[in-house]
Amino acid sequence: MLLTYVDAIRQALAEEMRRDPAVFLLGEDIGIYGGAFKATAGLVDEFGPARVVDTPLAESAIVGAAIGAAYSGMRPVVEMQFMDFIACCFNQITNFAAKSHYRWGAPVPIVIRGPVGGGVHGGPFHSQNPEMYFAHTPGLKVVEPATARDAYGLLKSAIRDNNPVLFLEHKFLYRRVKDEIAEDGPAIPLGVAAVARPGRDLSVITYGAMVHLAVETAAALAAEDIDAEVLDLRTLAPLDRAEIVATAKKTNKVLILHEDTRTGGIAGEITAILQEEAFDDLDAPILRLTSADTPVPFSPPLEAAFLPSAEGLKAALRRLARY
Amino acid sequence: MTPSPELTAADRGSNSEREWFEDLRLERHAFTIRRTRREGRIAYEWSGEITDPPPLRESGRLDRAQCLEIYRFLLMNRIMEQQLENLYKQGQVVGGVYFGLGQEGNSVASAYALDAADWMAPMIRNQGSLLVRGFAPRDVMMQYMAKAGSPTGGRDGTSHYGDLGPRRMISPISMLGDLIPVMGGICMGERLQGRNVAAMTWIGDGGQSTGVFHEAVNFAAVQNLGLVLVVENNLWAYSTPLNEQAKVADLALRARGYGIPAVVVDGTDVLQVYDACRGAVERAHGGGGPTLIESKLMRMKGHAIHDAAAYVPPDLLEFWRRRDPILRFEQYLRQKGWLTAEAQQRLAAEVEQFMLAERAAAEASPMPDGNTALSGVYCEPGCHAVQPRFEARAPALRAANGSANLAAVEGDAPHLR
Repeated sequence: MLLTYVDAIRQALAEEMRRDPAVFLLGEDIGIYGGAFKATAGLVDEFGPARVVDTPLAESAIVGAAIGAAYSGMRPVVEMQFMDFIACCFNQITNFAAKSHYRWGAPVPIVIRGPVGGGVHGGPFHSQNPEMYFAHTPGLKVVEPATARDAYGLLKSAIRDNNPVLFLEHKFLYRRVKDEIAEDGPAIPLGVAAVARPGRDLSVITYGAMVHLAVETAAALAAEDIDAEVLDLRTLAPLDRAEIVATAKKTNKVLILHEDTRTGGIAGEITAILQEEAFDDLDAPILRLTSADTPVPFSPPLEAAFLPSAEGLKAALRRLARY
Repeated sequence: MTPSPELTAADRGSNSEREWFEDLRLERHAFTIRRTRREGRIAYEWSGEITDPPPLRESGRLDRAQCLEIYRFLLMNRIMEQQLENLYKQGQVVGGVYFGLGQEGNSVASAYALDAADWMAPMIRNQGSLLVRGFAPRDVMMQYMAKAGSPTGGRDGTSHYGDLGPRRMISPISMLGDLIPVMGGICMGERLQGRNVAAMTWIGDGGQSTGVFHEAVNFAAVQNLGLVLVVENNLWAYSTPLNEQAKVADLALRARGYGIPAVVVDGTDVLQVYDACRGAVERAHGGGGPTLIESKLMRMKGHAIHDAAAYVPPDLLEFWRRRDPILRFEQYLRQKGWLTAEAQQRLAAEVEQFMLAERAAAEASPMPDGNTALSGVYCEPGCHAVQPRFEARAPALRAANGSANLAAVEGDAPHLR
């Protein structure tokens, strides 16, 4: 069946809930209303309010309850209405869930999923990309799919994983991309990057909605005889170091693209990995194209200036190709 | 539970209020602590009368054998903490030591009210609850000594450990309040598996100021979860006295804002603590939702061993020294004819010997190998000899089909051997 990104998420949730009675959902307005973005629409009718739990507006309590339920043997999936609100339960995630297995051997199989990202004029509190707060915290897994098929398959793996997984869904993609997805299709393993477009001349390493910008820009640059490879990281923690190094060794030129702000973004970490493991293979300085180091502005012209653009990416890739 | 004879009807409130609010105390502690300037320095001043406490409030729930078992846990708790202090002074402890002196009765009697199928999560001063739940004194000591044999293999200290297995204990984290939603979540998960259990944790007069306390108690109330929350009002949050922490007269009054029942107890009266907690546990088992219990007591040492607590007025300590929970309980056992002086001495000597052996075992454990620090960040396939608890239960859960409010869990408490 042809599913949009958000439909694929709902499909994965429903199939995992049918497969495993330990899986249940909790979050704000996810029951009768079906979630702010309708990711859980209809699930309360099939699984009932005990397994699709509308909670009070209390992010710390929601995540804390999920951790407790996981200790008791369940596999809770929490919806953050917008991932920006994850700041409210930072302690539960980074200090309770993330450190539990390391400190006392108690696994915390929970998924916290919800919409991230800009491009929809959501303003400073409905557009952020909070991945690096969590990718920096040992014990967490951080996933951000770029396609409907990946959203479906990666969410299945996230739910089956025995660790706390942050599952970041780019809201710009919810209804803009779709894939043919078979019922009860395969899970896609976490921690494995995918080549979204093979290429010869240079590599764009990216993830989330920026994968689409990269693939479209690469197609446009083919006319200029620049053959760009696009590597979709899919998981930010743990990072697929082998694929990152492999694409650098293949094309010898790397640009890292992300919608997250610049300082402390994953581009810095990837740059360091390439310096350590592929220095002799590089024919050009590693470039990065990111959002600006500002809050996400609201007004469309301001947000456009904040986000990486197709023109900016083209210019950077032309510069890289000239080395 | 019968109302306290000493209190007037007005003190207890109206009948409708008594449905949600119970006060088991036999005395109200009438004293005030206020800030004043003394010889040019700001200090806390105590005003009140140093009185003797009444006898304990008869329980009716506990028999002789149970009372003697509780008494033994109390002795273990106190003597273990004396050993911890010795270990610290000998430089064998890594970091600090936290004491529950004066709070042992509350820690032990509350944990004792749980069944084996219930869950608990200790706070830093509830070291007696660890013993009740089946951990050995050597575990407590090795945690403080950061030994390889400690429950966390040296990865964490103090009471920061747990057991998802038979002891059903959740490890706390240092941030206060964050245990409360987790304990609620355990009840939620258990209920989805067809069981109503109680999940007990403690919070202090300081910790109840946190935002997550509010979120979690409200969440448990709305979801009707079997949370048993014991607010240990020990009058001091580190160096901050209660009146700078909360404006409300009794912290238990907060329960009304959540629509849940509250009980106030004298935290130095073992029997009151047990009765209130057992009542709350039974309510949880019956699907009756959360209970908030305020236990009024006093932290008789500093925040941790480094803190001499010079800010505490000496008269306040004297007032509470007369309310030592162990001595009060001992007196009760004597009057009941359940514990002779000779039996008490024999028991104390036996616990002393046991504690020395435990201490020797803790000292014999090596420090951890530094290389063990690098593994176990993630739970990898095969990293647990014991598989996640759920796997074994899937059929039962399928049978329950996600419906809540099934029969209460029956289980023997681990200490009722």
